[in-house]
Amino acid sequence: MLNTNENHKNKMNAEVDPSFSVENQLSDADVAHYVVDLLDDHAQHLTAVTAKRLLVARNLAVSRLADSQAVQSSGHTLVWFGGQLERHRTMSTAITLGAILLAFYAAQQFGLNANLEEGDAFLLASDLPPEAYADKGFDTWLVSKSD
Amino acid sequence: MVSFKKRLKLNSLIYLGLLLSGLFFNNLALAEDVNLTWVQLSNEQRQVLNTLASEWDTLRPWQREKMLDIARDYPKMNPSKQELVQKRLGNWSRMTPYERENARKKHQQFQSLSAEKKNELRKKWMEYRGLSEVERAKLRGESPDTYTDADLN
Repeated sequence: MLNTNENHKNKMNAEVDPSFSVENQLSDADVAHYVVDLLDDHAQHLTAVTAKRLLVARNLAVSRLADSQAVQSSGHTLVWFGGQLERHRTMSTAITLGAILLAFYAAQQFGLNANLEEGDAFLLASDLPPEAYADKGFDTWLVSKSD
Repeated sequence: MVSFKKRLKLNSLIYLGLLLSGLFFNNLALAEDVNLTWVQLSNEQRQVLNTLASEWDTLRPWQREKMLDIARDYPKMNPSKQELVQKRLGNWSRMTPYERENARKKHQQFQSLSAEKKNELRKKWMEYRGLSEVERAKLRGESPDTYTDADLN
């Protein structure tokens, strides 16, 4: 571990001192390793108080992260619900329009059927001529025949 | 943002408006047809109502409306029925409103009869037609609800 730290230290020095050769220059990964090594190194010497404060800070950070994810999640729910609502509106409009068209079609059909049964043209084309329906004498004669 | 209920109500009102305006313009078109003279009728209408050519312009609007209804329904019939309509239209147009209304009611009753009853009534009509005009006039006079002169106007 110490050798590694020394190695990193040398590399950091090379960064600061331009007289170092190009081969000795540090990459980002090297710096990261150096920092991690230093933290590991110093973590061994942390006091109980500092360790506890770090633990509290970590828990706080984790809880905040959890809260932020929960908001994001509920945001997605709202977006999904909004989408459903929009689809619901479109469906309602389509259903309303469909119901009105259906009612209009039914009214037309009903009117047509009424015409089929009641239209004068169909009376004229009936099995009996219109005179048969209108002749009061025929009614009287039918009654006299049935008696 | 417009609420869902308001939007639904607005849609319903728009559709209702369209429906009512359609019915209004339909009736307006019918009212215009009723005022047409014989030469202004369409070829199809004149062909169906040919029997009435000489008297069309003297008919009252409500009479024309009924005749135009016949012309409208005419294409829905088969040729044999159409022939019957052409043959009977002249007599029909000369009937009084009272006679026509009475005929409509009786036709409705006839329609509800069974095929057997209809056939029986057809035979009886032929039998009745075989009576002399004097006998038929006498039977008409015996009718309990014989119409008065007021009914004929």
